[in-house]
Amino acid sequence: MKPQLILLIAFGGAFLTYIFGKISSKLRDGAAVAISLALVAIFACLYGRPLQESFYWGFLGLNLSLRLDALSWFFAIAIVSLGALSIIFSLRYMRDRERTDFYYSMMLMVNAAMLGIVLSNDLISFYIFWEMMSWCTFLLISYNQHRALDAGMKYIIMSMIGSVAMLAGILSLYVSFDTLLIPQIASSLATASPGYVLFVLVIFGIAFGIKNAIMPLHTWLPDSYAEAPSPFTAVLSGMLTRMGVYGLLLITYVIGGMIGGTGLGSNVSKFNYVLAWLGALTIVVPTFIAMLQNDAKQLLAWHGIGQGGYMVLGIGFGVATANSLALAGGIFHTLNHAIYIVLLFMSVAAVQYRTGGVRDLNSLGGLVARMPVAFVGALLGISGLIGLPLTNGFVSKWMIYKALIIEGHPFLAFAALIGTWGTILSVYKFLHNMYLGQLPEKYKHLEKSPFSMQLPIAVLSSAVVLFGILPGIPLRVINKICTWLGFSSLDVTIWGFTSETGTLNTINLLAAIVVVSAVVWVLFHRAAKSVVVAQDDNYAAGAYVPRDKYHYTAGFYEPLFTMLRPYLRDVVDEFYTALAGAVRKSCGAVRRIYTGDVGNYVTYIILFLASLILVQLRWRPW
Amino acid sequence: MVNPVLLIVVPLGFAFLIPILSLLSKKAAKYIPPIPLCFNIVVSLLLLPRALENPVVVSIGGWQPAFSINLVAGPVGILLSAVVAFVGLLVSIYAVDYIREGATDRYHMLFLLLLTGATGVVLTGDIFNLFVFFEILCISSYALVAYAGDKAGIESAVKYLIQGAVGSSLLLIGIGLLYGLFGTLNMADIAKALQSPSSLPVFVPMALIISGLGVEAAIFPLNGWLPDAHSSAPSPVSAILSGIAIEVGLYAIARVVFTIFGLSIDSTSNFLMFLAVLGILTLLVGEMCALGQNNIKRMLAYSSIGQMGLILFALAMASSYAVVGGLFQLVSHTLAKALLFLTVGYMTYRTHSLDVSALAGIGKRMPITSLAFTIGAFSLIGLPPFAGFPSKLLIVRAALATKECLFFVLIGGALLGTVIEAAYFFRIVQVLYFKDGNTNIARKQVPAVALIPIVIFVILIVGIGIYPKFITGLLSSAAAELLNRVDYIRNVLG
Repeated sequence: MKPQLILLIAFGGAFLTYIFGKISSKLRDGAAVAISLALVAIFACLYGRPLQESFYWGFLGLNLSLRLDALSWFFAIAIVSLGALSIIFSLRYMRDRERTDFYYSMMLMVNAAMLGIVLSNDLISFYIFWEMMSWCTFLLISYNQHRALDAGMKYIIMSMIGSVAMLAGILSLYVSFDTLLIPQIASSLATASPGYVLFVLVIFGIAFGIKNAIMPLHTWLPDSYAEAPSPFTAVLSGMLTRMGVYGLLLITYVIGGMIGGTGLGSNVSKFNYVLAWLGALTIVVPTFIAMLQNDAKQLLAWHGIGQGGYMVLGIGFGVATANSLALAGGIFHTLNHAIYIVLLFMSVAAVQYRTGGVRDLNSLGGLVARMPVAFVGALLGISGLIGLPLTNGFVSKWMIYKALIIEGHPFLAFAALIGTWGTILSVYKFLHNMYLGQLPEKYKHLEKSPFSMQLPIAVLSSAVVLFGILPGIPLRVINKICTWLGFSSLDVTIWGFTSETGTLNTINLLAAIVVVSAVVWVLFHRAAKSVVVAQDDNYAAGAYVPRDKYHYTAGFYEPLFTMLRPYLRDVVDEFYTALAGAVRKSCGAVRRIYTGDVGNYVTYIILFLASLILVQLRWRPW
Repeated sequence: MVNPVLLIVVPLGFAFLIPILSLLSKKAAKYIPPIPLCFNIVVSLLLLPRALENPVVVSIGGWQPAFSINLVAGPVGILLSAVVAFVGLLVSIYAVDYIREGATDRYHMLFLLLLTGATGVVLTGDIFNLFVFFEILCISSYALVAYAGDKAGIESAVKYLIQGAVGSSLLLIGIGLLYGLFGTLNMADIAKALQSPSSLPVFVPMALIISGLGVEAAIFPLNGWLPDAHSSAPSPVSAILSGIAIEVGLYAIARVVFTIFGLSIDSTSNFLMFLAVLGILTLLVGEMCALGQNNIKRMLAYSSIGQMGLILFALAMASSYAVVGGLFQLVSHTLAKALLFLTVGYMTYRTHSLDVSALAGIGKRMPITSLAFTIGAFSLIGLPPFAGFPSKLLIVRAALATKECLFFVLIGGALLGTVIEAAYFFRIVQVLYFKDGNTNIARKQVPAVALIPIVIFVILIVGIGIYPKFITGLLSSAAAELLNRVDYIRNVLG
């Protein structure tokens, strides 16, 4: 199958969906699901079949081409699968909303644009799809109106700053090497001066850093995640933000000649160390800010930033020290993160759907009784997020830790560990405040989630466990990517891998955990039967508690909150806000040039002419 | 053999026909302008193959060039006259329904005269003739700005008139000085005689001419008239002023600078650098003023200033890539800005307010118009896959190809301008679609006559954005003509 045909299906599907929506909403929903599932099927069939094809001759004298290799297949399959699940999830979630035609076609369009990004074989098509993704995202973030409008503006302005930087970088490469085909740039860049390589790294680093929300370029993310419609937040957090990771890997490929060959240029290595440290910073600070959030989506959003830090840490460190374990960990973490964060956002969305949009952690609680499937999703999601053994997050985090420790970077490893502690604290609050504790009176009669929401949650939950027990499945593809990028290969088995820097075998873990659980089960089974008491009895040790008077999910971590709050301000965001205010103010000042007084205007004209002549008379510069 | 003179004579003739015809029927006037404009498109297209080979030089009155008034229909001239006729045609179709009140016959006459002037400017090879056509263009635009007859319109028309008159007199003085120096008004003939623009007797007329044309081309700080005039004129007039009139001014500057004064990148004179800096300054001032502007038409007017700055910057780089980029930007800006003014025309007509906030929720009431607005805005920002993207790409690339620090800094400024531009256009898009507004406005499309030009603009913007080859061939020969002074002189003087 030709790659351009796939894109045609993806983009054409987006348009068709809109048109179908004008005819009937059932037809539209069916078409959207069918197209997204068809794309999953196509990519599943294309596994291991590299493609490369030019699809457009002479766009301003450039040939645009597409490719499918291990890296792009890995991202593409994740994009289409998560996209399809989000579309299925949307069926009920968006049913009674307005502008659903627009919503569905934009969802498909965003997915199509992301596919375009990962399939691009030259930087112009990369940029074109990148920009299309940006404006589609802007429209989707703004969809919820009101506060979403500000979030959308914040997103698009930061995104534009990133993309103009990228445009400058791309065209600078074009001017230098007279080609924009990625493999050719890779071979040309190997002989470029170290200063120029650093320039390329920094300028693309800015663009991808903004998209991947690396501190201090992260400020667009929390509001955008929180305000976007939840199924789209899933796409946004799962894959769209991670286009930044894809971009970083692409840079790694472009400078790949230096890794395998004569050794790393010192600038490349330094840049990647800086990147790794920024990654570490991005892990620590946002994770603790996440702890302070009372809005379920904001909490997850801050984790989205923090988890992005692990990916950047893994990739940056892997490239800096030519360590394939860390690099593979970073890539694998991207996939794992996508799976559990989408799962978590869906679980929040399921609650939102039933409670009428409530996502304030202080007013929920006890929903495990009403929405068991969503609870299981949330439980497995946070297990993955923390990185509990036998969930997928464990494997990728383990790889990163191991690499950091073996290469002798205790501080980076420590930062990653602190991040995990913060994660445990904050996601426990998340799980407890939503699903455990006291069920508020008004939610006593909530229905369980509809099937179209349960299905994606179930699929993703099993993926969390599957990739935790059998990490070899994705790691095989990741290993291919690593070797393609010029790194040494890991010895991957279905249960894990062995390499000179570390061995992981999940079957041992599995066996250990099965044995322990069996022992525990037997012990409990043998022990005396427990007595079921009313929930309130537990809280107050038998004393009478008026119903709904005390809600034990409110004010979670209050003492910690008051202690940490002064240190965990988002200073960067405050700085940007001040900067934006200053820009707006200076724009207002500039506007005063246009006084509206024609006398002034004529004076400008005469002064302009007079100074031209005067300058030439006096200094003769022209 | 079609004669380029027809491009000027036919619209002029029809313009004078309108008042006569309106004696018979008041209603007929509005159907007249499309006829000569259609004719002009056809003639331009017929001339195109010949012009691409060699500029078509026509002398009037049987005298040989250097003594006669002559027209030079080279690729640039044909390209721009086609753009003028095409955009003019679409806007005149739009105006059939939009212009209802007042002395409509006079409106249509002035409209045709304006386009005649614009066509004349881009085709003429004689500098005094250029001045005359410029005056035709300017005077009709003064009158058109005041067409609505309200206080704002008249006030800004008078302001425009005063500044325009100052500009025109500077231009005329400059031309007079050149005539005194070289004893000829033919551009090619002056160019042949003129060696270096740096000597003061030549520099002074150049400064005068650039300042004079700069007023019409909306170069900072000569553009004080523009925000008022473009925002208080009726929307089709704003579309023409923003889409055609200022571009023609910029063309005239380029022609004068490149052809007459012979500035080029490898000449010792670095006046072009100054123009490039001025371009970016204009861009930044325009975009910064547009940010935070609450009057939608004023915002578009400031955005036009910004775009003119970008085009000036591109032209001033004077490499062939840069000039192609500049001309491409000129075309894409013309299409996008005309589209924006046309859509805004009906939106504000419905809401009875020029306030941005009044447009809230229009996306639901006027879906096609809003979509067209969005596409125009995206194209102006330079987002793919719209026409503004390839043009911006070419300009950035040309700037990076200069490998000069100054241009790197300047293109940084241009990209900053793009971000600001994105900020205010995205805000409007949000207001259109994602803000709940006045629900009293009925869900009603614009009339079909007005919808045709809007849809055609949209198709062109998307078409050129996806397939830029459609015009790049023409643009590169136009750029070559503009930059190649020696060939121009040889073609005209034989």
